[in-house]
Amino acid sequence: MFRNSKGIFLIIILVIVGLGIILTPKITIGSFERGEKNSPLGLKLGLDLEGGTHLVYKFMPQEDQSFTSEDVEGVRKIVEKRVNEFGVSEPNVQLLGSNPPDRLLVQLPGQKGLNLTLSFNGNTVQTSTIENFFRDKIGISSTTVSQNEDTSYTVNLEDVDEDLLTGDTTSINPETIQLWQKQLSEKFPVVIHFSYINPDLIEDKSPSETESKSNDAEPTDYKFPTIDEVKHVFDSFELEKAEIEMLQGAEGTFSAVIYGLRYDGQISQVQDIKQSLRELGNLQFFFHEGDITQWTVGGGIQEAKRLIGSTAMLEFKYRECGDLNNVDPDIPWPPDGIPQAAWEFERCNNPTYYNETATEIDASDLVDAYPDISQNLNKPIVQLVFNDGGGEAFYEVTDRIAREDDRLAVYLDGDELVAPYASTGIAGGRAFIEGPGFTSDTTRTIAIQLRSGALPLGLELTQERNVDALLGEDSLRRSLVAGSIGMVILLVFMVSYYRIPGVVSALALFSYAIILLSIFKILPVVLTLSGAAAVILSLGFAVDANVLIAERTKEELRAGRGLLAAINTGFDRAWPSIRDGNLSTIIVASVLFWFGDRFGTSIMQGFALTLVIGVMLSMFTAFFASRVFLRAIASTPVGKKTGLFMPVSDEIENSGRS
Amino acid sequence: MDFIGKRIYFLTVSMVLSVIAVVILFVPGLNLGIDFASGTSITYKFEGGDPGLSSIRNALEKSGHGNAVIQKSGTDEYFVRTTDLGDTGKDVIDEKLREIQDVKLITLATTSVGKSVADDTVKNAVIAVSVAVLFVMLYIMYAFRSVPESYKYAVAAILALVHDIVIVLGIFTILGIVVGSEVNSIFIVGILTTIGYSVNDTIVIFDRVRENVSLAPNRAFRANVNISINESITRSLGTSVTTLTVILAILLFGGVSLRDFLYVLLSGVIVGTYSSIFIAAQILVAWDSRGIFFWRRKI
Repeated sequence: MFRNSKGIFLIIILVIVGLGIILTPKITIGSFERGEKNSPLGLKLGLDLEGGTHLVYKFMPQEDQSFTSEDVEGVRKIVEKRVNEFGVSEPNVQLLGSNPPDRLLVQLPGQKGLNLTLSFNGNTVQTSTIENFFRDKIGISSTTVSQNEDTSYTVNLEDVDEDLLTGDTTSINPETIQLWQKQLSEKFPVVIHFSYINPDLIEDKSPSETESKSNDAEPTDYKFPTIDEVKHVFDSFELEKAEIEMLQGAEGTFSAVIYGLRYDGQISQVQDIKQSLRELGNLQFFFHEGDITQWTVGGGIQEAKRLIGSTAMLEFKYRECGDLNNVDPDIPWPPDGIPQAAWEFERCNNPTYYNETATEIDASDLVDAYPDISQNLNKPIVQLVFNDGGGEAFYEVTDRIAREDDRLAVYLDGDELVAPYASTGIAGGRAFIEGPGFTSDTTRTIAIQLRSGALPLGLELTQERNVDALLGEDSLRRSLVAGSIGMVILLVFMVSYYRIPGVVSALALFSYAIILLSIFKILPVVLTLSGAAAVILSLGFAVDANVLIAERTKEELRAGRGLLAAINTGFDRAWPSIRDGNLSTIIVASVLFWFGDRFGTSIMQGFALTLVIGVMLSMFTAFFASRVFLRAIASTPVGKKTGLFMPVSDEIENSGRS
Repeated sequence: MDFIGKRIYFLTVSMVLSVIAVVILFVPGLNLGIDFASGTSITYKFEGGDPGLSSIRNALEKSGHGNAVIQKSGTDEYFVRTTDLGDTGKDVIDEKLREIQDVKLITLATTSVGKSVADDTVKNAVIAVSVAVLFVMLYIMYAFRSVPESYKYAVAAILALVHDIVIVLGIFTILGIVVGSEVNSIFIVGILTTIGYSVNDTIVIFDRVRENVSLAPNRAFRANVNISINESITRSLGTSVTTLTVILAILLFGGVSLRDFLYVLLSGVIVGTYSSIFIAAQILVAWDSRGIFFWRRKI
């Protein structure tokens, strides 16, 4: 009995924990995150159940070269890897056509709605404020906003009205973007503080003079811009509203709160305003915050798509930074009044101050690039491997960089990826890049982007459409309801035919379902249609195990054993067949899993994995849960009525015989 | 009940059905879906009015594609699947479709699938299933090592499994003709499920045989098998009926899109249950008493 109560306790705990896992929409423990938004019970759904993006690419050989089946298989592998690395769940990357295949099919599941990446200068906006803005002002009810590490915000918008989208329904049309940006800037003000300085004061101030002297100096008759002049400047920008104040007692110092600043996709109007303000006088100080600095529509799928299709013109450029120290004593250095401390950054990061020239390193020289963790630094890094020729060129470039304190700028399709420096010339063709802001996510992305330079064939997107879920939401729901009806009929049958063992089976099956779903959520297992079929099959096995046990127990009772003995013997007798049947199934499933990656789709593996988990668990519940429950009931007063432990037909038979 | 005495009938019926199934698998063959057949599928949009299914079928017949699959996929969108169109085939179809009525014809998508994908899938499936079968045979031989000649159990279980797969394929071929069921990825899952079910069901009966043979080694083998069948038939039928209840419920009340998959499951469960009782166990007896060429001898 003691063992029994412990067993029941364990199962109850498992079921409660399982229920908790299933019913909690999103589980977050540190970096451990599980649970999907807006999917039933937070389970991950595959493309066939959830729908997703369906892309077809055409292989584009360079300069009319022919390509072989091996080439395209190479491309397929690269693309598959890229997509996998990007964290798109259960993608399908398949070759189409024959001898050699000429197209590539990529199916990316999930990703409902659109992702908008937003940044504001100064990072002063609350995520909830943005969420409320999209919900109330724009009218998109299912909006979720999260802040990224680089202080940008990711806004996920669902059920965006189709009118607002472009034809392929994956991006917002330009008019909508303009409208949203307008509304956003009307809601979120940009604050600018700026001040002018009397140029005479600067000239007067020479190093030889003491500070007190310059303070005592008579103010010259410099005329600061008036508030009206400043207002006039702002008026010329046709803003929604601009509140401009001059700071009390500080002539030439203003603050402006402006609404309706436009953002043209590259540079916000703030720079134009600055330029115009400069024309009024000697602008000394200009500070602005709250203006949009980034606005990209896209997200997981868009991002992955960009990576897949990027034909990836990878360029290694030599970046000759601005001189660190003054070369010509007649020119004030650093230039443009930049403080010495900031200059060290600016000289290599501001395009105004550096020059770039091509290097001997060719994109095709890069053999591999992969994310790694540095053993010494314990930081995420990107490992690079060059071929012999590339290795030599790389040594020459890094050697010069190290000597002259310059940079190696790496560009992908014209966008700067990284611009690392080198402390010494790196020989041997192997190197790594580290950076202060590198996370394992950034190194992974950079590695993918670097590797894409090695893509042997170009890819051109020829077809893109959003796939509806294979079943359709309605069909899926109806099937689930029907399945539940079937389950209820089954349980009614089990209870009315097998009676107490039937009730126990029902309890065991309930525990089984709860624990199985929670395992799926925790691992997580992507639920596809084939996975669902495996669940049904394993559920069938779980029922079967209970039927076997009930039948065996019945036989033992009929043979005249006492109830507890009959239950124990019944279980022992049923065990070999449950074990052998289930193990055979596990063998089949394992082989299918093993072979699964030979198939173009993930069907086999999804089915096999789900089946293995389901069958193992069904063995556990049938044998552990059912036994514990049955023995517990047998030890209560109900146990006195042995007939309740036998099927209906048998009781009649028995009473007939006696 | 004496199941063993009537085994000649069961085995004969199954042999005949299997032969028929194999024959219709070659001619006319399974109705292959776009995933598995080579061909072209086009999604058309008729802007300005729905021409109706029959006029589209007419147009396709005129362009020489009478066997094309046409599905309505939206208010004015149609999905058309044909045999490989080559370079000019689509232009011919487009022309005929434009003749229907004054609507603007837009091609939303064209996909052509080569035969190699289908061939590879079939080849890989056969290899995977064969390896799986081999391992299951080894396992059964090991699990049944307590009874003499355990390899016979392994072979009998696998023969029953092959029988199930063949019959289900045959049934699906007929369904393909009658209600247009198509072989697609879900179909493969259905076959996999059938394999799992069939093996499990056979093993449950063999387990009884193993037990009875161990308990009464001196009783005639056929008697032991017959007792085992009688003892486990309630369970076999019980499990089948409960499983079928769930499948039927989904088939009757669930969404249409799962229909083909459920047909496979339905026939798989029925055939799997039948074969475990009437084929697998009977092969054991026949082999034991008459050698492997059991159908030649008189009982």
